[in-house]
Amino acid sequence: MPINGRVLFSLGLAALAVFAIVSASSWPLKARLFPLVTAIPLLVLALVQLFLDLRGKAEATDSPASDLALSTDVPPAIAQRRTLLTFAWMATFVALVFLVGFPLAVPLFAFTYLMFQSAEGFWRSLALTVAAWGFFYGLFERMLRLPFGAGVVQIWLGL
Amino acid sequence: MLDALIAGLLLVLQWKAFSLMLIGMGLGFVIGLLPGIGGAATLALMLPFVFTMTPAEAFAFLLGMHSVAATTGDITSILFGVPGEGLSAATVVDGYPMAKRGEAGRALGAALMSSLLGALIGAAALAVSIPIVRPLVLTFGSPELFMISVMGIACITSLSGLDARAQIKGFAMGLLGLLLCTIGQERQSGGLRFDFGLIYLWEGLDLIPVLVGIFAIPEIIDLAVRGTAIAGASPAGNLRTGVWEGAKDSFRHFWLVMRCSAIGVFVGILPGAGGGVAQWMAYAHAVQSARDATDRARFGKGDVRGVLGPGAANNSKEGGDLIPTIAFGVPGSGAMAILLGAFLIMGLVPGPDMLTKHLAVTYSMVWTLVIANVIAVLLCFALLGHLAKVTQIRGGLIIPFVLLLIFVGSYTANNHIADLIVTLAFGALGYLMVRFGWPRAPLVLGFVLGKLAETYLFISMARYGFSWLTQPLVLVLIVLTVLVIVYPFIQGRRAGFAARAHAD
Repeated sequence: MPINGRVLFSLGLAALAVFAIVSASSWPLKARLFPLVTAIPLLVLALVQLFLDLRGKAEATDSPASDLALSTDVPPAIAQRRTLLTFAWMATFVALVFLVGFPLAVPLFAFTYLMFQSAEGFWRSLALTVAAWGFFYGLFERMLRLPFGAGVVQIWLGL
Repeated sequence: MLDALIAGLLLVLQWKAFSLMLIGMGLGFVIGLLPGIGGAATLALMLPFVFTMTPAEAFAFLLGMHSVAATTGDITSILFGVPGEGLSAATVVDGYPMAKRGEAGRALGAALMSSLLGALIGAAALAVSIPIVRPLVLTFGSPELFMISVMGIACITSLSGLDARAQIKGFAMGLLGLLLCTIGQERQSGGLRFDFGLIYLWEGLDLIPVLVGIFAIPEIIDLAVRGTAIAGASPAGNLRTGVWEGAKDSFRHFWLVMRCSAIGVFVGILPGAGGGVAQWMAYAHAVQSARDATDRARFGKGDVRGVLGPGAANNSKEGGDLIPTIAFGVPGSGAMAILLGAFLIMGLVPGPDMLTKHLAVTYSMVWTLVIANVIAVLLCFALLGHLAKVTQIRGGLIIPFVLLLIFVGSYTANNHIADLIVTLAFGALGYLMVRFGWPRAPLVLGFVLGKLAETYLFISMARYGFSWLTQPLVLVLIVLTVLVIVYPFIQGRRAGFAARAHAD
């Protein structure tokens, strides 16, 4: 019985369906009807898929999912490291927005990413950062006047 | 009627109306490129500016902007795999793989030309159908609209694959999309569902962070993993030739473009169904129209038909959307609901008056759709060669800019930091789905249709009990839905027989 990512994904889906069914069961009829109508067949399908995954049965190669196919020309270990690194960069950007708000997070993120991840030179990184910030400020702040809240750091400092 | 048609054209060609249309188009061009900020949001932002305009000027400005945003939304979908707005997501599925193969120019040319053809068909439908559409729309009550939603969800099957396992995954993802829709306040009783005590979830998950996360983030991760330009090592080729090849593809698959445009018009007419549904239904139709299993396997890997169908439906639905808005004051989509506000600002009452007293204004809208789309497509063709070169720039330089677009676009959904977390979470989910072979499109379609389906189901049950299931039009729609579900199996079986016969 192979326990791998596929099995865990199917298991997670089944667990989610169980959670939805259990939660919805205590709601009034109007509120629970649609969640139950969707979660019960979802549980059945997830369990069928889990069973197939546990049997380790390979999927038909001629079953296109009409979807993105991840690149296979990079060694798996490197691909995994780069994937985690990219997620970490994205999480860093979100954390920066939370801490200092978009207007500061945009140049900070662009500069650090270009310098340390893309390994660009200082001046090129700086020029591209100015371009990114100019684009953000000119379009979103000046032209569209979108409201970007301050970060928690500015709030703490009373700025 | 001919007099009104000419009067409508003259209204749009007046210098002030025409200039305002060009300004609106410029805004729409930029807005369409930005993920998250859709045409509807821009209409809302620009509504206060129409107070001093005449009706023809206001509609030239607003519709010019809205129709161009629908066209340019496809550009980021193809170049970066980031949907310009919710309506452009289906173009990603085949458009982005084409860009990765070095065929960005062809994909863009196909998207633009099919968009133009779709827009022209939508405008023609609007022009001819206003007097005759009333009985059709009034035939569709909640039971029929619910069945239309179910049929849309059944299209999931054709987006998933031919064998049983692919169907299981497709349906499961569609159901997950429907389930995710139930998060937040239930509309009928006001009860909270799956809110985990978070106020943010009371309104439910917004489409933009979900869509942008699930589609854009896996593409960005893949780009980072490859460490190359979007087009990889594929040669740049002659972009201009590619663009014209794409434009010619629209005529090579002319009837597909026509059928998908008709789907767009039809979905546009139905209140509340929206452009996202039209695009996915058109994509599903394009997949289903594949000759056999081998032909079908090309979809999702960069088949130009997967770009043509959604491109055409995306713009034809604009004309369809306007039909119930003008004729009955029933907006076909969120954007049209905002446009309805413009009607009221102008002192116009949608309904019979728009077909008699203000017929010239009505036709000026038709002409705006035509002229704005023609100009936008010509402009895009002039710029496409340069735009497609973006796919040759190193990923390391592109990624921070695309991430900026992704997260700012998501943030604008509710101006809440939680939108970014939702984007990240759905990005992770989208990545895992791609990695383990679960299709993303059915989840999005389920999510788009979920609220609509639940509302129509509730109204049908409350109004008719179970007897709505026996209404003639509902029965027809049930049969069509079953056909949509079983057709891939029939096609697969037929392909199997053919292969065996060939082997013998």
